[in-house]
Amino acid sequence: MAKEMIAMLLAGGQGSRLYALTQKLAKPAVPFGGKYRIIDFPLSNCVNSGIDTVGILTQYQPMVLNEYIGNGQPWDLDRLHGGVHVLPPYQQATGSDWYKGTANAIYQNISFIERYNPQYVIILSGDQICKQDYSDFLRFHKEKNAEFSVAVMEVPWDEASRFGLMVTDDNDKITEFQEKPKNPKSNLASMGIYIFNWDILKKYLEEDEADPNSANDFGNNIIPNLLKDGRNMYAYHFSGYWKDVGTISSLWEANMEVLDPENSGIDIFDENWKIYSRNSGMTGHRVSGDAVVENSMITDGCRINGSVKHSILFAGVKVEPGAQVEDAVVMGGSVIKAGAVVKHCIVAENVEIGENAIVGAMPSDGEKGVATVGPGVTVGDGAKIGPNAMVYEDVKGGEEKW
Amino acid sequence: MVNANANALGIIFPNSYDSLVPELVGERLMASIPFAGRYRMVDFILSSMVNCGIDNVSFVVRKNYHSLMDHLGSGREWDLTRKNGGLNIVPPFSEKTIKQYTGRVEALASILRFLQHQKEKYVVMADANIAVNFDFKAMLDAHIESGADVTIAYAREELPPAAMNDDVLNKELYYTLNIRNGRVEKIFVNSKEPGVQNFSMNIYIVNKDLLIQQISSAFVRGYMYYERDILASHLDELNVQAFRFDGYLARISDMKTYFDENMKLLDESNLDALFSPNPVYTKIRDDNPTRYIRGAKAKNIMVADGCVIEGEVENSILFRGVKVGKGAKVKNCVLMQDTVVEAGASVEYVISDKNVTITEGKEMKGTDTFPVYVAKHQVV
Repeated sequence: MAKEMIAMLLAGGQGSRLYALTQKLAKPAVPFGGKYRIIDFPLSNCVNSGIDTVGILTQYQPMVLNEYIGNGQPWDLDRLHGGVHVLPPYQQATGSDWYKGTANAIYQNISFIERYNPQYVIILSGDQICKQDYSDFLRFHKEKNAEFSVAVMEVPWDEASRFGLMVTDDNDKITEFQEKPKNPKSNLASMGIYIFNWDILKKYLEEDEADPNSANDFGNNIIPNLLKDGRNMYAYHFSGYWKDVGTISSLWEANMEVLDPENSGIDIFDENWKIYSRNSGMTGHRVSGDAVVENSMITDGCRINGSVKHSILFAGVKVEPGAQVEDAVVMGGSVIKAGAVVKHCIVAENVEIGENAIVGAMPSDGEKGVATVGPGVTVGDGAKIGPNAMVYEDVKGGEEKW
Repeated sequence: MVNANANALGIIFPNSYDSLVPELVGERLMASIPFAGRYRMVDFILSSMVNCGIDNVSFVVRKNYHSLMDHLGSGREWDLTRKNGGLNIVPPFSEKTIKQYTGRVEALASILRFLQHQKEKYVVMADANIAVNFDFKAMLDAHIESGADVTIAYAREELPPAAMNDDVLNKELYYTLNIRNGRVEKIFVNSKEPGVQNFSMNIYIVNKDLLIQQISSAFVRGYMYYERDILASHLDELNVQAFRFDGYLARISDMKTYFDENMKLLDESNLDALFSPNPVYTKIRDDNPTRYIRGAKAKNIMVADGCVIEGEVENSILFRGVKVGKGAKVKNCVLMQDTVVEAGASVEYVISDKNVTITEGKEMKGTDTFPVYVAKHQVV
């Protein structure tokens, strides 16, 4: 049975700028917002938009991601025909290749797409925090009779040169594409989310593959080729919350924005657009008689005996008596021992912060660093982690890291 | 069979002791009463079975089982969506000639043919009025080793006040045991003996073939109660062994105990005891994390996901999706899922059922010994 539109989700990104957090897992698997991983956002968007077939293209450190996606049941993507499929690079009779670029990753899975014989294919990115109705995007694509559409966001003009920009006419038709230009002619930044007519996509992927000089990339190769041929290309304006959480500071910031849905625009409390995730299955969290919890988000399994202010605590985090947590993102299973001070930082999963240790610091003049402690790290009693430090190995008691 | 699986099938009687908490079972049954923040009573015994390798579990339901069906679904959360075994819900046939069962004998008689066709050698039976992390494996091992016909689990407990109330005893039966050298010598029905007793947990392990034979012959004689009519009167011929349980258990025997057993979980040693060694599974709701907005105050509480807290909450259990508005005060309460306490309202010693709304500025106050109960979907 043919599907109207299926999704291909690019989830191979290493996320090298998140370094300590992505040593052992791909960026889309990085925990976010108290009980989610980044990839929950595009996956939930798919299901909420009525897309029931998703191919997830993985490459870098796929183990955690594979296990997390499983059969897709948490997102209601365990389907008889369709559902979610993890698509790593594989060996073929003619040889085997890593995915050379974003376009090549899709090219290598043409046979997967053809099984569903879709009219449209939406290409998604697995490393953005965004709640978006892809069905509205498709409606636009059909209305414009487009062959290719790209979702764009208006960005401030002074930042425009950091993005891939779409120059459009009054009818949103794309006339020019500028990749990180010095002199931007537009402030419409590509979000890296595309809808293609499948026949067009297939044709251009095959042509691109045949070109030995191509980097096999959507932004650098496919889109310029489409433009050159004068295809019907349109820009779909998206004005909701969108964040590429590619750096420690943007990841921290996006988490903090979740705490302030009224002003930030990222509302994960919306019953009509739920974000689904694999559940921890822990009991409700406990706040003891002596604890302080202010302006924070706390998940199942947490035990709060200390002070937690303006922070996000993932499942099963323990904050012992006298410990202080402020402006912090503390991921699942981590323990903040008695008297420790954890501020303005990201503490990854299963970390132990020893007694009276200090991690990070509230911003002061010229010092806005977000300290980061990688997964599984033990920070010894009385150790000190400076506000710009990124720690991915155990820190001995009393030691200082800057 | 590989060691991971127990050679036993489970049967749960989800309606047992319904009449003890008439308020809570208005639209549900004992097994689906919300408990401990994000669970239903049945989750404990069912998870215990699954964790001990029992992967063929039948529910013999009697009435009001809509909420149970909704909760259990396909059994996926308990890993019971199986081709062989898995979850099996047996509703009563709605035919004129077959009336709803009253005792366990009739209930079991309705699934005799099913039992005959199961491959497991032993049958584990339990009610859902006790929340417990129970080691069925240890009990099964003990049952096999002792060569018993039937093994009964019991706890050293005082009988609850409800067991002293004649109105209650007209409807429900409690069993206490006389034990010598591990063997049950006498089963007392509705004893009013004071002090700590060998109080049956109504968890039984029986050899399946024996059970089938017992039920077939008891059914034709018109017997109703397994314990009273089959076990108690045959203790000299049957080898009935007792299995003592010393762990943590929460037994619901009236509204007061329902309230108290919830509150006891605010003590982390109790909470840890109930939720270890094995996990307890429940239906997933995909709630967001709980949000404490500026101005919220929290003291000695247990809160599930999906809550939004803007007011003050103290000594309370909040189930999933509870909202506490600005300036609202919640003290010594058990608020079930999706209860809304609007701005400025104040509640103390209140048990609110699902989807209750306490409107702006309202005050409600029960007492330690008599918490106020607000029924499902009520707007106060």
